[in-house]
Amino acid sequence: MRAVYGLYDDPHVAQQAVENLRAAGVADTDITVISSEPFDHFEFGHRDATTAMPWVAVAAGVVGLGLSYYLLGAAQRSWPLVTSGMPIVPLWSNLIIIFEMTMLSAILATVVYLFVSAGLPSRGGKMYDPEVSDGYILVGVENPQDGARLEPALAIGSGRVKTIS
Amino acid sequence: MAVDLDKCTGCEACITACHAENNIPTVGAQQAARGRAMHWIRVERYYEGNFPDVTVKFRPVLCQQCDNAPCEAVCPTYAAHQNEDGLNAQVYNRCIGTRYCANACTYNVRFFNFFNPEWPKPLNLQLNPDVSIREVGVMEKCTFCVQRIKAAKTTAKAENRGLVDGALQPACAQACPTTALVFGDLNDPNSRVARLSQSPRGSKLLEDLGAEPKITYLDKQSWHEPDAY
Amino acid sequence: MNRTLTKPLTDDLIRPLFQTSIWFYAIVFAAGTVVACGAAAWGYQIWFGIGSAGIRWPVFWGFYLVNFVFWIGISHAGTLISAILRLVNAGWRRPVTRCAEAITVFALMIGAMFPIIHLGRPWLAFWLFPYPSDREIWPNFRSPLAWDFFAINTYLTGSVLFLFLPMIPDFALIRDRSTGWRKTGYGWLSFGWRGTTRQWNRLESAMQIMAVAILPVAVSVHTIVSFDFSMAAVPMWHSTIFGPYFVAGAIFSGIAALIIAMAVLRKMLGLEQYLQPLHFENLGKLLLLMSILWAYFVFAERLTVWYGNEHHEMVVFWATQRGAFAPFYWTMVICNFVIPFVILANYKTRTIAGCVIASIGVLIGMWLERFLIIIPSLAHKQLPYSWGEYAPQPVELTIMAATFAGMILLYALFSKFVPIIAIWELKAGLPSRLDPAARAEAALLATRLDTEEFSPEASSTHGEHR
Repeated sequence: MRAVYGLYDDPHVAQQAVENLRAAGVADTDITVISSEPFDHFEFGHRDATTAMPWVAVAAGVVGLGLSYYLLGAAQRSWPLVTSGMPIVPLWSNLIIIFEMTMLSAILATVVYLFVSAGLPSRGGKMYDPEVSDGYILVGVENPQDGARLEPALAIGSGRVKTIS
Repeated sequence: MAVDLDKCTGCEACITACHAENNIPTVGAQQAARGRAMHWIRVERYYEGNFPDVTVKFRPVLCQQCDNAPCEAVCPTYAAHQNEDGLNAQVYNRCIGTRYCANACTYNVRFFNFFNPEWPKPLNLQLNPDVSIREVGVMEKCTFCVQRIKAAKTTAKAENRGLVDGALQPACAQACPTTALVFGDLNDPNSRVARLSQSPRGSKLLEDLGAEPKITYLDKQSWHEPDAY
Repeated sequence: MNRTLTKPLTDDLIRPLFQTSIWFYAIVFAAGTVVACGAAAWGYQIWFGIGSAGIRWPVFWGFYLVNFVFWIGISHAGTLISAILRLVNAGWRRPVTRCAEAITVFALMIGAMFPIIHLGRPWLAFWLFPYPSDREIWPNFRSPLAWDFFAINTYLTGSVLFLFLPMIPDFALIRDRSTGWRKTGYGWLSFGWRGTTRQWNRLESAMQIMAVAILPVAVSVHTIVSFDFSMAAVPMWHSTIFGPYFVAGAIFSGIAALIIAMAVLRKMLGLEQYLQPLHFENLGKLLLLMSILWAYFVFAERLTVWYGNEHHEMVVFWATQRGAFAPFYWTMVICNFVIPFVILANYKTRTIAGCVIASIGVLIGMWLERFLIIIPSLAHKQLPYSWGEYAPQPVELTIMAATFAGMILLYALFSKFVPIIAIWELKAGLPSRLDPAARAEAALLATRLDTEEFSPEASSTHGEHR
């Protein structure tokens, strides 16, 4: 893996670095920003924020609802036993279990979608610097076409530029 | 079943007969004092009036085999359910011992095996081979002597005839010296029990709770002249 | 001035993972011994039969069910409170959420054990699970116990994930700062987290969705626990108020447990800077609110029973108001309402110590409440001939003690291996990271977080951003 990146201790400078990279002709999707905390109030923190996750959760909930509705009825009809004079498939009390399974499906789908869309688990081998854990913000490009050309764009403020080749 | 309270003398022969027929363990005095005694049928005693003018009322209480039995729906494993004869069946092998049914039962006629069953000698030699032994952690209760019902049905079917009213009796009714307990088929309008159930003296135990019990109690009739009022 | 460097803060918060005091071993040993005694007691009970416990005809549910409801109630501390605070974006939640969520997970694990411990044949507990068995029979889905299985299963799964997801970035942090087995172990646990913008955004979306989903689940769990009682036609159980009454009581005892846990953590791990009097003040206000709500529910429940004057219910009613259970009842009222109200309604006594005293009272009171719901009703069902009494036996008391020790043990181990305060969430809530409107609130919190990097002055001079 080749990479060129800068480490910044000021989010404003990191923001500037992102804009410099754009100005240097790097596509937005090729710019990677890594930090040890979310920066919700900066533009770079909003890149790639749109996600289908809420819809995935809702869809999974609907699937869980339908599936548990069907499975409950099927299980109750498979060996119909009367208790307390209730119907064989009592929807009123089945609603409780249907509700729980709906929510469980939505929760599990959310987590699975989180892992898939966030690229987890990852084996490593990607651009990273342990100094991020000290609070530095990493702005860089993975496998750049011409890494040396991007170094000036990253060398701003108190930023330190590193190159991996 | 119909229970004529006028005839019940409180002799408790039904309890003994039930123990013998259904292999009900005797838990011993110590455990009985701790509330672990098992009597599928019991005779409740209620005292009325002040000494010395006291009257005692007896009421044999056993599983009421309710139509809307509160014990059934709460069981998570279908150990308690309504069988095709309209009895509250208790499948011992399905029971895992949540004891929820016993709490839900408003009559407290369900009993729990707190320990593995034991019988002091020589009671261990008289166990009924037609009735299964219940292990620790299992709920049990009056079955209306379901083993006798099944046997009578099988015989009747083999002989290609219907059941004869009064020929089939659970152990308690069989042992009752005053015939206070009357057992029969409620679906047969001509049976003795069906006619007794229509009696103006008849009422159900805790009827207002809506469990629709199948046992009718025939009220005790006072031999006193009614007080002038 | 460095604006994002957080090394001192991080080092401070992960220090308990690397330094072990003698207290840790002492606590683990003591709690572990009690837990082992509880396991032995359970083994004894399985070997000799459930009759070793004090349950009897007609009180078929005893201490085990009391503890079941109590622990499931405690579990409403964390996920519910943390989800609400996340959704309303309360800044002061940040140091609190993880210790709250951990309480939820451990209390649920402990609570969910009781329905199995109390079974007559616990080795067949798996028959409650819906699986295609060779017996060809499914569980009876009409039974509240089957509902319990689904509700607790959903809540436990959701709560574990809700606790675990925000731990991933912190595990990555520890991975980068450790060597040896810790680097390997936390490396595995962090799933190769890097902290790209995409990952942060996904994580925050997931936490929002989870918070929305887990709220109704939490409410449903204790409602269904209350259904275990209110579905049965037992005097004083068969009540429509039980659902909300139990949920309110659960949150009430949950907050109390959280306050105690936070106070202990604060002292043991030296977190005075992070768990500040303000957090206790806020939680104390919540506890006060729940105390009043609890009193309202008890009043509503008791008044309707008294006014309705229904014969079977009045027996239970008077047994708790005046009869054998009256000492427990009035202790409960004092512990749950009088003590918390007096202490917490006065801002002068709403200190950390005051909150802890009120919380201990609430825990005692709420345990008694569950006892008073279960035992007197079963002891006084409709037919007077079958009334009975109940006394717990040594097995039950040992197992009960073991669950409290188990909570301490699990919590001690958890705070040993996981930073008990979510480091990244705390950082993201620092004044320098917030927009000016939110900063005023946060500055209040951060007054004592005045490390060189995070002084409020720094935030005021560097406040501008896009």
